[in-house]
Amino acid sequence: MSITFETAKQHQNDPAVLCCLRTKGTVISASDLEDPSIFPDLEESGLLTFPEHALTIGQVLGATLEQDADSMTPLTPELVSHFLENPKNESESQKITTSTFTDEDPTRETQVIRFNIDKLVGQIELPTGLNVNALPFATAPSKKAEDKVIRTLTQRAYPVEQVCVGEETTFKDKVLTIREALCKESLKADPLVKNVELDIIRPEDRHVYSNTIMDVIPIGTKVEGILGEGITNVMNGVVVVLTGVDEKGIQVHEFGSCEGYLDEKIRFGRPGSPDLEDIMIRVNVTVQENTGMERRGPYAAHKACDYIIQEIRDVLKEVSADASADQKIFRDWKKSGKPRVILVKEIMGQGAMHDNVLLPNEPAGVIGGRRNVDLGNVPVVLSPNEVRDGGIHALTCIGPATKEVTRHYFREPLVNLMAEDDEIDLAGVVFIGSPQVNDEKSYVSARLGALAEALDVEGAIVTTEGFGNNHIDFAENIEQIGRRGIHVVGVSFCAYQGQLVVGNKYMDAMVELNKDPEGFENEILADSTICPSDAERALVMLKTKMAGIPIESANRKWSQEVIDANEQLIP
Amino acid sequence: MSLTTVRGLKSEIYVPITPSPVWSSLDKPLSECTVAFCTAGGVHLKSQKRFILSGDYSFREIPSDTPASELMVSHGGFDNSDVNKDINSMFPIDRLHELEREGFIGKVAPVLFGFMGGGGNVNKFKEETGPAIAQILKREGVDIAVFTGGCGTCHRSATIVQRAVEAVGISTIIIAALPPIAKQQGAPRITAPHVPIGSNAGEPNNIAMQTAILKDTLVQVEEMTTFGQMKTLPYEYRQNV
Repeated sequence: MSITFETAKQHQNDPAVLCCLRTKGTVISASDLEDPSIFPDLEESGLLTFPEHALTIGQVLGATLEQDADSMTPLTPELVSHFLENPKNESESQKITTSTFTDEDPTRETQVIRFNIDKLVGQIELPTGLNVNALPFATAPSKKAEDKVIRTLTQRAYPVEQVCVGEETTFKDKVLTIREALCKESLKADPLVKNVELDIIRPEDRHVYSNTIMDVIPIGTKVEGILGEGITNVMNGVVVVLTGVDEKGIQVHEFGSCEGYLDEKIRFGRPGSPDLEDIMIRVNVTVQENTGMERRGPYAAHKACDYIIQEIRDVLKEVSADASADQKIFRDWKKSGKPRVILVKEIMGQGAMHDNVLLPNEPAGVIGGRRNVDLGNVPVVLSPNEVRDGGIHALTCIGPATKEVTRHYFREPLVNLMAEDDEIDLAGVVFIGSPQVNDEKSYVSARLGALAEALDVEGAIVTTEGFGNNHIDFAENIEQIGRRGIHVVGVSFCAYQGQLVVGNKYMDAMVELNKDPEGFENEILADSTICPSDAERALVMLKTKMAGIPIESANRKWSQEVIDANEQLIP
Repeated sequence: MSLTTVRGLKSEIYVPITPSPVWSSLDKPLSECTVAFCTAGGVHLKSQKRFILSGDYSFREIPSDTPASELMVSHGGFDNSDVNKDINSMFPIDRLHELEREGFIGKVAPVLFGFMGGGGNVNKFKEETGPAIAQILKREGVDIAVFTGGCGTCHRSATIVQRAVEAVGISTIIIAALPPIAKQQGAPRITAPHVPIGSNAGEPNNIAMQTAILKDTLVQVEEMTTFGQMKTLPYEYRQNV
């Protein structure tokens, strides 16, 4: 297929290859040349090999073909005449800055000198002694713009050293007791829930068989204020692990499984997983047969689990402030004079188990929240504090290694990094669903683009969990932002198994999340999710792109060396 | 603006381009054609082994005289509600037999195929599964093979197998719920009804819609003349999950 002049310009340093048979005497133009973006495929399939002295597109435009040549022939000095030895680099020639005087009569007394500047790169220096206030452009601000705190969240941490099951739910002296009858009562949460069991797994006893892990949920509760501000009490050293099957024994909401022994199936210490020293409260739910792969089944299991957690939250609310071991303060800022950016988190929204609860009443809760599928998967903005206060409850189950569980959002490394970074102003965290229907994918992506435009941001990082059909949205979300002149960095698991199936030119700065040596979705919970090191690479890549420094194009195939090399460059 | 930047960073993920064309033209009327159906939506006989949901490149041969009631799906890549109600919403086996009785097609191929396209290994599908299915269809004298994917990854697997089948001289078409993937992956022919992933061949128990989608798709095999063409079909169904 022939290419356009614009494509030829973009690829002026790539080799020139004829797209079709051309006869002697042809003056080469873009329409005679093949698209360089398909060269790797052509080379791979053996249809094309380049001689060492192949000419570039920039060299051959306007040159004359000296003999008949077939399609897929790379052009060389033997084949063409009048080619350029050293073609001018287009981008260099554009750097020339010109200025002209205006049409105004220069002899008229105007007190000013006026000239037009077509394009200016760099600085203008003026002698001192000029009246600064008379200058037609802003000089250094006289008053330093101040950063403003919009809201503050205090998280009080309460360590838990022992968890047991007993008569009554209590929390005293670092011992959490959970009422035994609570499991049976939790069946009330949804008629699809047929049985609920609970057990306590201590760090030293983890070689325990388990159904597939549906979620990892932190225990936190509001003591003062709403989500994102005020005071939240959080239990440290303990986490709820939700598992489930249907009445026939079929694993609930599996797409990839981490069914097996807990010590083997969890990558401990990831933002979303239990930490090595955590006690796990395992809640195992049995739902009505054949509902495990439908939307209502997994949701019912989450509701039953939340019913149990709520009673723990209620006792956690009553603990005195003095008993907390540690206190963390999170702030939402409005930072003046710093480039505004957003973080876009693409979440699943295809129904079934591909759904999330946004903004529940309690941190990481279910009740009171709205599900993104019900909201039509349109972008919803949360403040960084709302995310860090448990604003997302993940119903999602894609592959276990790439899914972002509820605890992941509670400790999201990118949210924390971007919110605390002094060089940027994080305007918000945008959650956008990945719909089931293709037309709806375009619809929500377009709204994301409009939102980014309205927020007037200079940069964005777009992340997605999982891989597969959500990569369509991922590509489109990046395009909708990128085409508006906003710098974008994409973050996803792709590696070998999740290779991107669609792409566009705005996807030129990408961060790989894979941690599996073979590049597969490996069935270890949270293994290939965003870690602090991934977050750092993504943010530096965004800043670098915003500063106009080029990011090298990706290799054709995934390789860990590229990631390691980038890692080494992080200051 | 003062930003901490780094020179020499490299993008870590390759962004793909469409593969090379593969094409077999149809040289007889539909009424004389033997038609097969293949789905990456995880359909198989209840008596056959379930697919491994995390990634499985094996396939199941489904004799075309199997009653729909003997079929099931094991697939985690899409909401199973619709296929649980009516297997024809992914694998329209009943509609195919009706088209044969009506004389719209010559006959239904003796064997049809189900595989689990989600989480699949690209190389295995390209080098083993695709060519294996293609050889069987070729041996059975199939003229046209119609495909459905399920989720995004199985649209990719479906298209890989579709290309392998096209490469042995059989005209193929995919009914795509996610046409960009089919297009990006180099599907020779694509029809695109407005359907969600999970009921790619039309609304469950809506015989009229399923028939129309299948007929229009088969007509496109006759009408499309070049690689990579896509036709949007005027049928719309929104799943109420």
